[in-house]
Amino acid sequence: MALAEPVLLKRIPPPPWGNVADRKLVTYSDYVATGGYESLKKSLEMPPGELVDLVKASELRGRGGAGFSAGLKWSFLPAPDGERRYLAVNADESEPGTFKDRLLIDFDPHLLIEGIAICCHACQLDTAYIYIRGEYHHQARVLEASLTEAYDNRIFGPNSQLGQINGRDVHCYVHRGAGAYICGEETGLLESLEGKRGWPRIKPPFPAVAGLFQRPTVINNVETLADLPDILSRGVDWFRSIGRASTLGENVPGSYGPKLYGVSGHVNIPGVYEEELGVPMSQLIEKHCGGMRNGKKYKAAVPGGISMGVLGTDQYDAELDFDIGRRYNVLGLGTAGVIVMDEDTDMVAVTRNIARFFSHESCGQCTPCREGSGWVYQMLCRIEQGDGKYKDLDLLDEIARSMGAMPGTTICGLADGTNWAVRTILEKFRDEFESRCTASLVQVGVPSSA
Amino acid sequence: MAWITKNAGTMQIDRREEPYLSDETRAKLEAEVIPRYATRQAATLPVLHEIQHQHNWIPYQALEEAAEFLGLSAGEVIDCATFYEEFFLHPKGRHLVQMCQSLSCELCGHEPILEKIQQKLDIMPGETTDDDRVTLMTVECLGSCGTAPALMIDGTLHENVTWEQAKRLLDDLA
Ligand SMILES: Cc1cc2nc3c(=O)[nH]c(=O)nc-3n(C[C@H](O)[C@H](O)[C@H](O)COP(=O)(O)O)c2cc1C
Ligand code: SF4
Ligand code: FES
Repeated sequence: MALAEPVLLKRIPPPPWGNVADRKLVTYSDYVATGGYESLKKSLEMPPGELVDLVKASELRGRGGAGFSAGLKWSFLPAPDGERRYLAVNADESEPGTFKDRLLIDFDPHLLIEGIAICCHACQLDTAYIYIRGEYHHQARVLEASLTEAYDNRIFGPNSQLGQINGRDVHCYVHRGAGAYICGEETGLLESLEGKRGWPRIKPPFPAVAGLFQRPTVINNVETLADLPDILSRGVDWFRSIGRASTLGENVPGSYGPKLYGVSGHVNIPGVYEEELGVPMSQLIEKHCGGMRNGKKYKAAVPGGISMGVLGTDQYDAELDFDIGRRYNVLGLGTAGVIVMDEDTDMVAVTRNIARFFSHESCGQCTPCREGSGWVYQMLCRIEQGDGKYKDLDLLDEIARSMGAMPGTTICGLADGTNWAVRTILEKFRDEFESRCTASLVQVGVPSSA
Repeated sequence: MAWITKNAGTMQIDRREEPYLSDETRAKLEAEVIPRYATRQAATLPVLHEIQHQHNWIPYQALEEAAEFLGLSAGEVIDCATFYEEFFLHPKGRHLVQMCQSLSCELCGHEPILEKIQQKLDIMPGETTDDDRVTLMTVECLGSCGTAPALMIDGTLHENVTWEQAKRLLDDLA
């Protein structure tokens, strides 16, 4: 079923949004006047376990990149033992092409805050930290101000509606990062929250069991939590009526619910659009974005942040849901930050840009990622300048293929981003690379005269 | 590049009598920030942000003071501080100009704007003008890809930036 009306964006006007300072923020009273915090009240009438089951039944999958079932993740938490349990809200949003969480915070922060409160009750978590990237100066201030409103209205703090959890008042704090993409990876985020360098941890143990300060911790993306109030108020059946079941088999989880798609690049009206999961990319571009810019033709697109690889010229109609990885030879839906490229785009330059990002943002713990991404970047610079050799392309493919958590050579998934981006562009646009390369000349003999 | 360590062996440390972490700041942090976390170490990022906010960068002496305040060794705080790109462990200009160079911004033409900014300021990314007025940096995605190219000046984001606009903004910096 298509999305009849905006859900996550119901309080947010359509683009263009103008300057950050001129945007009208939904305050606590605006939020309550439009039905806000009713879902929290409803959830507080339910026992926590039932709430977890409800979210599990909704098949809500994480919107931060990995698409893992939220309810299932919550159900991995051990039973409360009276000590602290944490929620880490992932507002690090640093993946190039991704700007959806920022939009929610810019306009409607109480939607997130209500989601946080519901999650705290469902999972019996007493302390929540919103880990927000350092560059989101304005958004951190918006959240601070909105949290003050929430405390004033007894959402958190002493005598709050949530009551005491684990024998404590429930608190929610903003924690600012300081410019490191890797702190968006869930265990890098936890290390950073503990006051250390954001080095991802080797798993297991998983954060549900031993996370922040070695205590049970839930980590969820901003948009995932923002989905909760509507699941509560409109019900599981409504949520599952949007989107679709997996086309890959009965046992594969489906793609349900509304989704924010951030579209950027060579389109007429870039922006964040809400659609049901599974919307074809062509429809997003034509219906919402006013088509390709300057009447140019579509050539390629990143489906969801640059870690995901690229869709080729013949994949314009790709359905943007959680099956996309297996159907279109990309890593996955990722953050659904779609970057669209037109026919004039130089794919070698695109690959070079992406490789530079990953070599710059590698945390340096794993050799294939730290060294490999640097080599890949240097080789791509060489090819872009016309100094590449044909055999470089196979080497490029080999290095990229060997790095990542999926090949099992690195701790976290950052290197998989390098792997998929480089490899899929090379596969889908190989002729562009070849046209920049020359054969390596091998001397086969010595001149006979002399 | 977070994993490149800085040479410390022969480093000269400038010291001053007056502490960077004033009694007033300590009291404020103690009351408002420390109680939020289960360990004092977890307050490292907020404490470093506060120091940088007050002094524009984080001198070595301030790192030592932060360590003492947090009950950590200086090494632990340095280990953390050097990892994050936004902590300036060397003096920077009075103004910070950060141009996004990630994919959406490159596709939407950040390069010619960046080149003109470089020419106008007569510095390369990573450098500060001779009069200590402006530090220029290229950064990765600012979360403004739908309104690329994006330019951040002293923490304020400017979207859909043109050269004319960038030029005006630079002229306005004191
Ligand atoms: C290198 C890397 C960067 C990531 N960055 C983010 C991020 O900025 N925001 C986010 O929500 N998730 C990010 N993730 C995914 C998180 O690790 C985690 O899966 C997610 O926050 C879980 O929340 P969800 O289940 O609600 O999606 C990143 C993952 C990796 C490997
Ligand atoms: S894969 Fe890269 S970013 Fe991830 S832990 Fe290893 S070195 Fe760090
Ligand atoms: S790519 Fe420049 S703001 Fe995202």
